[in-house]
Amino acid sequence: MMPRPLVRIAAMANKEMRHILRDPQMLAFALVMPVGLLLLFGVAVSFDIEHIPMVVVDQDHSQSSRKLADSFTVSNTFNVVAHRGDPDDAEPLFRSGAARVALVIPRGYEASVLHGPEAVAQLLIDGADNTSASVALGYANAVALSSSQRAFVELLGDATPPLEARPRTFFNPELRSAVFLVPGLMVMVLVMVAVMLTALTVAREYERGSMEQLFATPVGRLEIILGKLGPYFAIGQVQVLMVLTLGVWVFDVPMRGSVALVFLVASVFLFAMLMQGLFISVVTRNQMLAGQIAAVSTFLPALLLSGFIFPVESMPWVLQVIARILPARYLVRALRAVMLRGADFETVLPDIGAMFLFFVFLLVVATKRFKRTVA
Amino acid sequence: MMPTVVEVQELTKRYGSFTAVDRVSFEVGRGEIFGYLGANGAGKSTTIKMLCGLAAPTSGRASVAGADIAREPERVKRSIGYMSQRFSLYLDLTVEENLRFFAGAYGLGGARRDRRVQAALELAGLTDRRGTLTSALPGGVRQRLALGSALLHEPPIVFLDEPTAGVDPEARRGFWRVIRDLASQGTTVFVTTHHLDEAEHCGRVGLMVDGKLVALDTPGGLKATHVPGALYAVELADSRKMRHELANWPGVVEVEPFGPRLHVRVQGELEDDGRLEHELKHHGHNDAVVSRVEPTLEDVFLALVGTGRQSKGAA
Ligand SMILES: Nc1ncnc2c1ncn2[C@@H]1O[C@H](COP(=O)(O)OP(=O)(O)OP(=O)(O)O)[C@@H](O)[C@H]1O
Ligand SMILES: [Mg+2]
Repeated sequence: MMPRPLVRIAAMANKEMRHILRDPQMLAFALVMPVGLLLLFGVAVSFDIEHIPMVVVDQDHSQSSRKLADSFTVSNTFNVVAHRGDPDDAEPLFRSGAARVALVIPRGYEASVLHGPEAVAQLLIDGADNTSASVALGYANAVALSSSQRAFVELLGDATPPLEARPRTFFNPELRSAVFLVPGLMVMVLVMVAVMLTALTVAREYERGSMEQLFATPVGRLEIILGKLGPYFAIGQVQVLMVLTLGVWVFDVPMRGSVALVFLVASVFLFAMLMQGLFISVVTRNQMLAGQIAAVSTFLPALLLSGFIFPVESMPWVLQVIARILPARYLVRALRAVMLRGADFETVLPDIGAMFLFFVFLLVVATKRFKRTVA
Repeated sequence: MMPTVVEVQELTKRYGSFTAVDRVSFEVGRGEIFGYLGANGAGKSTTIKMLCGLAAPTSGRASVAGADIAREPERVKRSIGYMSQRFSLYLDLTVEENLRFFAGAYGLGGARRDRRVQAALELAGLTDRRGTLTSALPGGVRQRLALGSALLHEPPIVFLDEPTAGVDPEARRGFWRVIRDLASQGTTVFVTTHHLDEAEHCGRVGLMVDGKLVALDTPGGLKATHVPGALYAVELADSRKMRHELANWPGVVEVEPFGPRLHVRVQGELEDDGRLEHELKHHGHNDAVVSRVEPTLEDVFLALVGTGRQSKGAA
C-alpha cells in the first residue's frame, strides 16, 4: 500500500487532471496556444530583415579584408551602399540615414589574420534602429565566428537598449532567425501557458470555497501544491513535444544535442514556471488578479529578459540582475546550447541548477505563505 | 454521563474590532446531536471553523477529540468530518470522482477506499448514478452525497454547517434520519441550522445571538425555561384588535400573531384547561376557538430575541 502522503498527492493530481479534461477552454488554451504562438512568431514576425544599408571602410585593401566584406554581402541582409577610406567619412552617412551599419577593416588586418594573435575588424551599428541593430549584431557575430575572428562592434547614437560588442557562439551558418527563434519561442510558450494555468488553479479553489473543505482534511499545503503541479507538468511536456516537433520539422531547427537533455532542461524550467504560477495563486487567492499578474510577470520578462531577442549582456544592470534571477534566460541559453551546438549535460548544468534553485525557492516561499494564511 | 468529545471554553473570534464569536463555552458528549442555532451572522460558521482548525481563535480555548484546536489543528483534522456551508463537492466531477478524491484526501487507499466509497454511495442512494456529474444532482441529493463524503474516513465527530439549507422538506426528513442513525452508532454530530423545527431532533440546542451563546439546553428544557406557562392557539373573528386587549389581561404573558390565529401564553390560573376559552366567552367572544399547543423552539427563539423574527429560513 502507498504511504498516506502519496495517496493524498495522487488524489489531488488525479482530481486536478479531471478538472482540466472537463474544461474544453482550458484544454484549448493549453494545447492550441503553443502551436498558434509558434506559427505566429515563427512565420509572421520574421526576423529575417533584408537590405540593411551598409558602408564598407576598407583600410587594408587585402584579400582577407575583401573576403570579410564579402561574407556580409553574400546574403541579402546587407546592401553595400558606399565605400569610404576613413571611418570619419562614414559618419555623415549614418546621420542622413543612408547607412545603418559600417564595417571598418583597419590596416594590418590581413597580417593579423595570417600571423595572429587575433584579427580585429570593427562594426559600427546605428543603435537607434533596434531591430536592424540586433540583426546586424547577430550576423556580425555569426560571420566573425565562422571565420574564427573576433568582431568588435561599436554603437552610434542613442541605443535602447545599448548594444555592446561581445563575441557569441551562434552556430547558424545559414543565418536564419527561425533557428534562434525556436528555443526562444519555447520559453514564450511554456512561460505563458504554464504560469497562467497554475496561477488560476489555487485561486479558483479559494473562490469556490473548496480550499476550506480541503483544509479540513489531512491534506497538507505541500501536498496540495505537489498534487497540482503533476497534471500541469504533464501538459507542459506535451507542449514541449509540440514546439520541438514543429521547430524541427517546420522551421528546420537542428537538433544537434540529445533530445532527452532538451526535455530535461525544459522540465526543470517547467517546474520553475508552474511554481511561479502557484505562488501567484497562493498569494492573490483571486483568479482575475492572479491571471493579470501571471501575464505581466511572464510575457515581458520572457520576451525581453530571456536573451530570446535582445542580448541580456547589453542591458542596464538592474535588468541584468532580474534576468539573472529569472529562469527564462537560462532556458534559452541551455536550449540553444543543446539544440544548436550539441552541448552535453555538464555544459548546461549551471543553467539547470539556476532554474532548479528558482523552483525550490518559490516552493518553499509558497508553502510558507500558504500555511500562514489559513482561512 | 457520555464522555466529552468537544470542549469549548470562552472561545472568542474577532475580526478587527468586530466580535464574531464572543466568549462561548460548552461541551458536547460522544454520540450527541448538538444543534447550533442562530440568525444570519450570529457566529455559527465562525465557531465551526475554529473547531475544525480552519480559523485561529482570538482567545479562549477548545479541544476536539482530545486535540487542542489552536496548538494541534492537524490532529483535529484527522478526527473530524466537515461539511462547509459554502462548498461541498466539485460540481464538474462525477459522484464517484468526488468520493474517490475525498477518500484519497483522507489518505484512504486500496480496498478500504473502495469499501468506503461504496458505503457513501449507498448512504446517498446513488449506487446506480455514480457516473453522474455532481452538477446534475438535485440539491437534497447533493447534500446527502456531501454528508457521505464527510464520513468517508469514519470520523468520530462531524461538523455540518447548514446541511439542509435550500433542501426541500421531504429530503430534509431523510437527511435527519441519517443523522440520527449516525448518532445512534456513536458518531458525534455538531450541526447548525436555520430551520428551528429541525432543532427538535437535537439532543441539545445552543442558541447564538450576535456572537453570544444565550441559551443551551435540551429542546424540552429550553421551552420550560424560556416559554413557561401554557400556550394556547386562539381563533377569533377580530384577532387584530384582540391582540392588544388580551395582552393587558392579568395572567397573559405574551400574545403573538401566528397566521390567522393568535398564540397566547398564559401563567397562573389561566393555564388550567378550558379556563382561557371560558374567560373569552365571558367577555363576549362567543366565536373564540381555543386549543392547547405545544411550544416550539420558534417560541423559545422569539422569547429570547424579542419580536421581529430574524431567522431567515424559519418555517
Ligand atoms: N473573514 C471575516 N472577516 C470579517 N468578518 C467576518 C469574517 N467571517 C465572518 N465575519 C463576520 O462574522 C459574523 C459571523 O459570521 P458567521 O459566518 O459565523 O455567521 P453565521 O452564523 O454562520 O451566519 P449564516 O447563518 O449567514 O451562515 C458575520 O457578521 C460576518 O460578517
Ligand atoms: Mg454560516
